[in-house]
Amino acid sequence: MKEKVYILGGAQTDFERNWTKEGKNMIALLREAISDGFKNAGVTYDDVISLNQQNRVACFVGNFIAEKFVDQGHLGAFLTEIDPSFYGVPSARYEAACASSSVAIDAAQAKIQTGDYDMAIVVGWELMKTVNSKIGGDYLGRAAWYEKEGKDIDLPFPKLFGRLADEMLKKYQTDENRMMDALARISVINYSNAKRNPLAQTRKWFMSYEQARNRGTQTNPLVGGKLANSDCSQITDGAAVVILVSERYINQHGIHGKPIIKGYGHRTAPMLFDEKMADNAGSDFILPWTRQAVLDAYNMSGLTVDDINVFETHDCFTSSEYAAISAFGLTAPGKEYEAVESGLIAFDGNKPINPSGGLIGCGHPVGASGSRMLLDLYKQVTGTAGGYQVSNVKNGIMLNIGGSATTNYVFIVGEDN
Amino acid sequence: MIIKIVTVIGATGTMGANVAGIFASFGNAKVYMVGRDIEKVKRTIPKTVKSVRADSIAENLIPADFSMLEDCVKESDLVFESVTENIEIKRSIALRVGAVLKKDAISCTGSSGLSVTELAECYPEELRGNFFGIHMFNPPYSMSLCEFIATKYSRPELQEDLKAYLHNVLYRTVVEVKDSPAFLGNRIGFQFINEALQYAEKYKDNGGIDYIDAILGQFTGRSMPPLVTSDFVGLDVHKAIVENVLKNAPDYEQTTFVFPVFAQKLVAEGKLGRKSNGGLYRTIKDDNCFKRSAVYDIASGSYRDKMDYVFPFAENMKKNIRVGNYKKALEILVGNLSQEAEICMHFLLSYIVYSLYSADKIGYGVEAADDVMATGFNWCPPLALIEGIASVTDVKALVDERLDRKLLEQIDIDRLFSEVKPSKYDYRLYFKSGC
Repeated sequence: MKEKVYILGGAQTDFERNWTKEGKNMIALLREAISDGFKNAGVTYDDVISLNQQNRVACFVGNFIAEKFVDQGHLGAFLTEIDPSFYGVPSARYEAACASSSVAIDAAQAKIQTGDYDMAIVVGWELMKTVNSKIGGDYLGRAAWYEKEGKDIDLPFPKLFGRLADEMLKKYQTDENRMMDALARISVINYSNAKRNPLAQTRKWFMSYEQARNRGTQTNPLVGGKLANSDCSQITDGAAVVILVSERYINQHGIHGKPIIKGYGHRTAPMLFDEKMADNAGSDFILPWTRQAVLDAYNMSGLTVDDINVFETHDCFTSSEYAAISAFGLTAPGKEYEAVESGLIAFDGNKPINPSGGLIGCGHPVGASGSRMLLDLYKQVTGTAGGYQVSNVKNGIMLNIGGSATTNYVFIVGEDN
Repeated sequence: MIIKIVTVIGATGTMGANVAGIFASFGNAKVYMVGRDIEKVKRTIPKTVKSVRADSIAENLIPADFSMLEDCVKESDLVFESVTENIEIKRSIALRVGAVLKKDAISCTGSSGLSVTELAECYPEELRGNFFGIHMFNPPYSMSLCEFIATKYSRPELQEDLKAYLHNVLYRTVVEVKDSPAFLGNRIGFQFINEALQYAEKYKDNGGIDYIDAILGQFTGRSMPPLVTSDFVGLDVHKAIVENVLKNAPDYEQTTFVFPVFAQKLVAEGKLGRKSNGGLYRTIKDDNCFKRSAVYDIASGSYRDKMDYVFPFAENMKKNIRVGNYKKALEILVGNLSQEAEICMHFLLSYIVYSLYSADKIGYGVEAADDVMATGFNWCPPLALIEGIASVTDVKALVDERLDRKLLEQIDIDRLFSEVKPSKYDYRLYFKSGC
């Protein structure tokens, strides 16, 4: 029997901030995120020291590509720069492109499940505004097979997810107008949800259905196939911290009401986009391994989509959220537009997706997105999401993907009962 | 409150053009953009579209000139006047608007400090209650502050509905302030900026303008140094603001509102700032077309290259801010007794005290000062600054120790400090490691 894994709390930085413009480096980012996360979870640096004396605490750092954005590797070791209490604490960096912090969460939960540690501090982060968006877009091309899908291509990822939209149109013979309309509405929902989130990157930005639907204009240029700027998440700086603890820790400290990780799924699809598409021929799903990761998490938790009250998904592009709708089981594959048109996934719908604003609205500092989603599920289940709180949340699910839905990570968080 | 049609008068000005964008985008209103020359208005529309990054609003923007003013106003649910800061011109427009305004429509001025009550009185009695001051900051797309000014004539239900509209529909940070010269944000901000200008004169032999800016740069909790801000806004606007306060609402800080002689001279010569390429600063292109930043040297009365000042306290603060060690940075500031650190501390503490005083006098609650300085100036707001310094030392004791006792005796400093509340803003993000 595996040990239960509790989420004690955490924090994200304000995703509107540009740390380069503030003249601050990753140490500042980590220091703020960790100290805010500790404060939220009621943990002190002295707690780290005393847990570490018994070798009961470890750190798990999620980051995609600091080697490019800030010329730095060996990222697990940098927490020692934040505070001497991290001296001696086991710490390493985990990487799986945009799903980097989900791998970190997975490693962290595993070490608690085995009973090795009582506390696992997960930090996902990325500083991306160190370069312009063209160079940044090129760096991100390394989440695909760079030599074949990224090199010498302007904005490789918008193009890959533009192709995902094209492939869905082809596979399901969906009316193009209807699908592009649904994608525009997905963008508008994420932007409008972000307005309720005081830490969202786009909380002050303007977006409307007319603006999102009108693709190919000066302010909404096409960036990849049929997708325009309004269909994309933006370049973001940020970090998100979550602190996981064992049942032993919860009992020793007399803590109540903290949610647990009820299940997870982790599946890797073929690296190349073309091979992914060839691979889905026998499946109803456009991204069968994404669907499988969701099913794995449902099975492990003993829950179904009916038990899930809130969804945080990886809308790096509107097409990825669109595909996630059926992967979650909210509609049949090919019928995703129904969930958009009926209002099912809207903030006040029965199955709200991305109340935080998601990647498009809240922001996408790639290495932080997985831990940011887990933190948001924690907030939703504990009723501490403030302006973007969904009512009566017992269970929430998150989907975090790396590359062109190559690495697929799903976690389900719910009340401990 | 449903606002479907808006008229913006003075739509070719920077504020008019940008405010039209806010109504047309977030408000999804049809906006008549009225200017003196309709061709110029047509040329402004692309700028308005760009200001909110949305081509989709273009169809909401309709150019008009003053001959069409009455026709536009008659149809409008809201009229926003944004013409030049001249009370006579504004009065003449108020008279024209008042003659045809719908009885339940809103009329407002975007004035940055003239008397809203006086303008309300230009309206027929039954319409005075519909008139308000709505003072936004530039650029409004990224600066969410909206100072809201009601008068004794205001209709209470309209007042509440309009505030809710500004907040819920236009996503403004609405701060209600009293009808007092320069309102709240500019009063606090320009007290600081003008005193910095005075200090530049006082320390002209140390370098003057760029010397003071080097002491009060980004690392002291703001997006740009104060005299760069003055240069950005324009010395003419700066002068009008401080003279308005000095003349119409002098207070214990009145001497700091006196516009310095050297700056009077620059204004007289048309050296206003960025808009006239040459004011406190100037960009010089050399023979090879390389741009250089020059500064007005008060002592010699000519422009010279900007200097790179190195102050140990500032360098140490920046080094610590770069790694997010704000506590250490503030410890350095408080503990360093160099002339420059003491000047810096004087400004920060005076800013805190003047903010508390002004919010008490002009705002409705101490939080007003925080909202205006964070969302209108992008400066570390006073309550957040208090929190930052309080992590190092007792702020009130520091005020007693560092500021002029005679000045403090004129205000109820103990009560003001007793009303200090936790800030809803995070002081850390305002302290930057740049110059």
